[in-house]
Amino acid sequence: MIRYIVRRLLQAIPLLLIISIVVFALLQGSGDPLAMMGGRRTVRPEDRERLARILGLDQPIYIQYVYWLVGNDWVKIDTDGDGLGDTPGARKGILRGDFGSSLVIRGKPALDIILERVPNTLILMVPAEIVILLASLAIGIYSAIRQYSWVDQAVTTGSFIGYSMPIFFIALASMYLFAVNFRKWGLPYLPTVGMFDPKVGKTFGQVAIHLVLPIFSMAVISISGWSRYIRSQMLEVISQDYIRTAYAKGLSERKVLVRHALKNAAIPMVTLLGIEIPFLLGGAVVTETIFGWPGMGRLFMDHLTRSDTPVVMGILMLISFAVVICQLLTDIVYGWLDPRIRYD
Amino acid sequence: MRTMKTTFALIIVATLLLTSCGGGAEPAEPKIITIAWTQEPNSLNRSYSSMWYMAALIQLYSCSPWQFDENNEAYAYMLTELPTISEDGLTVTMRLRDDLVWSDGAPLTSDDFLFTYDMITDPGNTVDSVYPYDMFTVAAPDAQTVVLTFAEVFTPWMATIWSGTVMPKHILQPVFDAEGSIDTAEWNLAPTVGCGPFTFVAWESGSYLQFDRNENFWGAPAKLDSVIFQFVPDDAAQTAALLAGDADVGFWPPYEDIPAFQDAGLLVVTEPSGYNEGWFFNFRDMASVGIRDLNVRKAIAMALDRGSNTALRLDVVGVTETFWDAMPAYVDPTITPWPYDPNAARTLLETSGWIDRDGDGIRENADGVLLTITQGNTNKTERQNYQALAQQQLLAVGIDLNIQSFESDILFDSFSDGGPAAIGALDIMQWSDVPAFPDPDSSYWLCDQMPSDDNPYGFNYFGCDETLDALFRQQVSTVDPAARAAIFHQITKYMYENVYYLGIWEDGDVWIVNPRLTGYKFSGVTPFFNIMDWDLVP
Repeated sequence: MIRYIVRRLLQAIPLLLIISIVVFALLQGSGDPLAMMGGRRTVRPEDRERLARILGLDQPIYIQYVYWLVGNDWVKIDTDGDGLGDTPGARKGILRGDFGSSLVIRGKPALDIILERVPNTLILMVPAEIVILLASLAIGIYSAIRQYSWVDQAVTTGSFIGYSMPIFFIALASMYLFAVNFRKWGLPYLPTVGMFDPKVGKTFGQVAIHLVLPIFSMAVISISGWSRYIRSQMLEVISQDYIRTAYAKGLSERKVLVRHALKNAAIPMVTLLGIEIPFLLGGAVVTETIFGWPGMGRLFMDHLTRSDTPVVMGILMLISFAVVICQLLTDIVYGWLDPRIRYD
Repeated sequence: MRTMKTTFALIIVATLLLTSCGGGAEPAEPKIITIAWTQEPNSLNRSYSSMWYMAALIQLYSCSPWQFDENNEAYAYMLTELPTISEDGLTVTMRLRDDLVWSDGAPLTSDDFLFTYDMITDPGNTVDSVYPYDMFTVAAPDAQTVVLTFAEVFTPWMATIWSGTVMPKHILQPVFDAEGSIDTAEWNLAPTVGCGPFTFVAWESGSYLQFDRNENFWGAPAKLDSVIFQFVPDDAAQTAALLAGDADVGFWPPYEDIPAFQDAGLLVVTEPSGYNEGWFFNFRDMASVGIRDLNVRKAIAMALDRGSNTALRLDVVGVTETFWDAMPAYVDPTITPWPYDPNAARTLLETSGWIDRDGDGIRENADGVLLTITQGNTNKTERQNYQALAQQQLLAVGIDLNIQSFESDILFDSFSDGGPAAIGALDIMQWSDVPAFPDPDSSYWLCDQMPSDDNPYGFNYFGCDETLDALFRQQVSTVDPAARAAIFHQITKYMYENVYYLGIWEDGDVWIVNPRLTGYKFSGVTPFFNIMDWDLVP
């Protein structure tokens, strides 16, 4: 098993390198980071030229990539525009742990910007995933074992409604109902935006109450999809011979469902989870934007629209790395769930 | 079933507990207001950010020699009087008040201005712009006097320099001495030492910015204890936050939400900011044959129902005609708006040889070239909606409007990278822009700003007209205000007659204010100029 893990990790190195090259190349075509530096006014050509030179944006794309990868502290930068390098570069490159400095928040390390947001995203996404997973399991299993009951029919109808609603609609509708209108009607109400009320501070109660609407919005859609998937997996498994055998041997329904049915139905779900978990790091762009949640999704969009390559590359590489690790973990979990799978 | 009921009851109780301990709290004792801010600044050092959402904040924690009031008139702020200018227009002298101090008690003197100038012009610092600091030198003959000497006359100096840029030398000089740059100075993101009526307290990325009253402020102390800028990137969420009372002030709401604010008893305050949404016409060689025909441009001006299209914006803003409509003194008074007259537009097109020969509804010239005009803008919904209306209205007179929209950083990409505006791929471009408001200067139509291989970042996407170029160069070096206004009358008339620019709507500032706030005023140049007078209803 250890040899397998080491082999997979070694295989990940060229994979991450290829990902970085592709993403870097794609980002170069996504716009000029200097174009919007003037705010609502057009940037003066002299300033654009000066900043391009100092920030290294006037270099060919492969040079920019090399600087991003291994740094530029081995070359001199032309800061005064006389065509000669006069100041040593300060970047060490991602291979030496330097993600570069943000082009938007000039001088601030991209990694610092990203790490500031990671905890906020996890505060939102981890509880949301737990709520989604638990509710989906409960609903999916119940629907499967009570197939065609009125509860199953109601859940099916609800799932289709929930799944067909766009997240921005659910988010705004819930915001207007529970925050704006509840307040107008004199009912206990929820806050509209933010992670906490700055007037009160970042307390557990504040964060908890600000989590309600974003999690609700994400959960409505995700539970609708996941519960249908779990229901169909469970239906397939509980019709198998070994389940009938388990019942025939006198095992209780709970034991049959949890030990035998759910464990086998979980294999495809683990695949999906393995793909989904690393993207928790990426946050939820729409939800975070609407609710003003200071997470990674918003950070990514804010910096992508300003072509801030160091920050965007940093986020994407972190997610890529997380995908590689989670896929490895997924494969290990397969082995635990299905004894037929061996890696040695 | 009993378990389900218990679970349900627990959820209800938890929800009630959460809601009662959070949003329903009684108003706190200190006077704190929350301003919904849809964009987060990228720096708090004015020299490192050109964002409007940053520039607007600086009146809280920073200071400027002069500010602009609610009539956008300049008044002395850190000075004993407005700066004096020499007869030749080359020397500007500022006399600082002698009681100026930084929030940590250190005196604020002319040395800080000299240091600021040095930092902006030093090549080791990647400030956003050195304009127009590269056009003058600074001297500090004594602690209260700052003298600027220009190499040549530069009339828009008052609108373009020292706007919240002054940096504390005693904080930043050691950083510069140690690192040769202030790019990474902590002060840029946490300016705990400032000279405004408030001081910086906290900036939580993506969440909020907080400023508390500056107890060492050299002017009258602020009445509010704290001002919080909460980042609310979504317009609809900003509206909800204002309606729910989670924010006291909002900026630039969607126009369609204004009736909802008024119904909720919130106040709508508009302020001219110099910005106008407009159509910039491309008359460069690579533009289409149609758009280079003056009669086609005139026909477009008359075929577009700007009045009705703008009325959809709930009468908060009006239609504009020229790039300088927010400064009427500089607009030729004989200019009358192009009327909405589709029949006159059709006649004009026909006299110019644009006739629908094949009956497909789109006109052609004698060579069979279709009258197809490419129009592009950023992909902001309001602009895309306007494009759709314009497309229908122009089609009614036989003009095919090919509409396109782009992300801003793609639309304004450089000539060498194929930016659509720079390479002349668009016949008409729409966005909101401003002269050096409240000064009328603009460089957009200068011939040496034409983008090319040699000048990839040039921003004259429209064309070179020698007459116009000469007028723009003349105005910027004309010291006499009356003579300068007369030149602008010529510029506005010339551009109007040649339809180089067509105003679409006035794009002033729109603020939503909770009536519990008092004493507030807004300026279109320095928005929070009287933030120290803001108060809450007792």
